[in-house]
Amino acid sequence: MSLLEIEDVDKSYGDEEVLHDVSLAMDQRDVDVIVGPSGSGKSTLLRCVNRLTEVDDGAIYLDGEEIHGMDENDLRRRVGMVFQDFNLFAHRSALGNVTLGLTEVLELSETEAKSRAEEFLGRVGLADQADSYPSQLSGGQKQRVGIARALAMDPDLLLFDEPTSALDPELIGEVLAVMEDLAEGGMTMLCVTHEMGFARSAASTITFLDGGRIVERGPPEQLFETPEKERTRTFLGQLTDLNR
Amino acid sequence: MTDGEAVTDPTETRGSTIGSLPGRRRLVVVAVGSVFWTWLLARWAYHNTVLDWVATAFGTPDLVRAEQGVRGREGWIPAAPFEGAAEAVDGVAATLGPASALVDWLVWLFDLAAFATTTAPALAAGAFVTVYLTVVSMLLGLVIAVPLAVARIYGGRGLRSIALAYTELIRGTPLLAQLFFLYFGLPLAQIAESVGFTGQGPVPRAAAAVAVVGFTINSSAYQSEYIRSALQSVDPGQLTAARAVGLSELGGIRHVVLPQGLRFAIPGWTNEFVYLIKYSSLAAFITVPDLFRRARTIGSETFQFTDIYVIVGLFYLALVLTTALAMGRLERWVAIPGLGSASDRG
Ligand SMILES: Nc1ncnc2c1ncn2[C@@H]1O[C@H](COP(=O)(O)OP(=O)(O)OP(=O)(O)O)[C@@H](O)[C@H]1O
Ligand SMILES: [Mg+2]
Repeated sequence: MSLLEIEDVDKSYGDEEVLHDVSLAMDQRDVDVIVGPSGSGKSTLLRCVNRLTEVDDGAIYLDGEEIHGMDENDLRRRVGMVFQDFNLFAHRSALGNVTLGLTEVLELSETEAKSRAEEFLGRVGLADQADSYPSQLSGGQKQRVGIARALAMDPDLLLFDEPTSALDPELIGEVLAVMEDLAEGGMTMLCVTHEMGFARSAASTITFLDGGRIVERGPPEQLFETPEKERTRTFLGQLTDLNR
Repeated sequence: MTDGEAVTDPTETRGSTIGSLPGRRRLVVVAVGSVFWTWLLARWAYHNTVLDWVATAFGTPDLVRAEQGVRGREGWIPAAPFEGAAEAVDGVAATLGPASALVDWLVWLFDLAAFATTTAPALAAGAFVTVYLTVVSMLLGLVIAVPLAVARIYGGRGLRSIALAYTELIRGTPLLAQLFFLYFGLPLAQIAESVGFTGQGPVPRAAAAVAVVGFTINSSAYQSEYIRSALQSVDPGQLTAARAVGLSELGGIRHVVLPQGLRFAIPGWTNEFVYLIKYSSLAAFITVPDLFRRARTIGSETFQFTDIYVIVGLFYLALVLTTALAMGRLERWVAIPGLGSASDRG
């Protein structure tokens, strides 16, 4: 059974149809990369998966269970999210960012939460920044705290919404390295990203979304080398050029 | 410096204006403030019932004089030297002829000082009531204001409109009318009296209890507006992130939005605090013996209205400046690196 199954999802804001008949399935340990032009509905699709946005039509299943029927806080514990602009809790240290969910959602004790948070900050290479506040961290460090925060909840699935696009070019590498580590470690990840290097090396599937519809979806080699649609070739070609 | 400069301009509040004075003048302000507060606290302690019990229990019944009525209280600073100085200067002025106008105000100043020493004990007692009314009402008001502000932003339509109606009703009617309504219109004073606000010892009189109710309601409406705009300036991504981790909306508000928003609210909150110190003088109109009522009574007994209102003005100024200073301290104390106060975010 697929870990995540998205079935014929439609979503509109007012008259604007943002997602149209979107379907995809992911197995455990899959890394799906979603690409598409601005406004194509990538963020909306991710937000539907953890119900920050509700779908209008269609269904989404996590581990076979329809998410619409689940307690949304429970769903979000199982589906972590990493944001484009980090959204670190500005009033809490790096450690505090990770512990909040642990104490308030998983209901760990302060000491348990602290040692677990330290462990996960260590995994993203930030053991020495535990006491720093977000404003005292570089963009790359912030995003790694964001990943540690999501990861520490022990999610079944991680959503990444353009995790590197707010970063200075020289800081992108450290975040991608963490993501590649996660992928190798078997984390199931649904990533909106235009980092084609990451897509080539880590993705099991690439999905090209345009105008709220899936244009093409397949393994990286297929989409990069022998895409079915001309549009896919043009778009991926542009991205690859940009990344150079 | 007026309090208006000190606190109404939110961009000025951080570090407060006094905090940024150059060393020498700052020292003067701190010295004058320390003398004033030492004197005031000593005055309060001298007539405090609880301390009186303690002192009596330890065998020194004369150390604290709680039973002494406010009017019969004696000042600690003798008036004679000031009176003498006034007379002496007056004598000099008489010899100066037309130039005497220049020294005349010096005479007035010494007379004022002499008057201040005799009226100070009663004003100290009034200042206690003013501080008590303001601090208690601000804190109780805060307890109401926070849920009110949260309801205004995050509540459903019903809750939102109730909160809106409350704030608009309170902010749209005169505070004095609200106090009169509570005091004369409702049997609130009798109720307060029957539950023990009888004015015995440290227990405030019924009128003071009514004033606290009035000021609490009034300031809660204003405080909630300051807090609402502060909460709204918290980046919405913060709550989204909290929700994405699995916190409920209320949990996210409590653990993420409020800790940030309440910090942003401190300058506005200081504003409201300072206003309430001054508006609390309206309690005088429902017989509460606060600072203003003490001054008014002294004025009508001595006919020295100008003098007493200058002196009581200085009392209010001292309270206001102290508050502004203390709130600046608080703001720096709870500051988090990079989490801008309202002043930083412009
Ligand atoms: N909350 C909302 N209310 C109204 N319209 C929205 C909302 N969120 C997104 N949209 C609209 O939906 C469309 C898709 O938005 P979405 O953010 O999913 O695109 P995206 O592919 O993530 O784009 P980008 O690359 O710019 O992040 C856009 O036209 C956007 O204006
Ligand atoms: Mg997006």
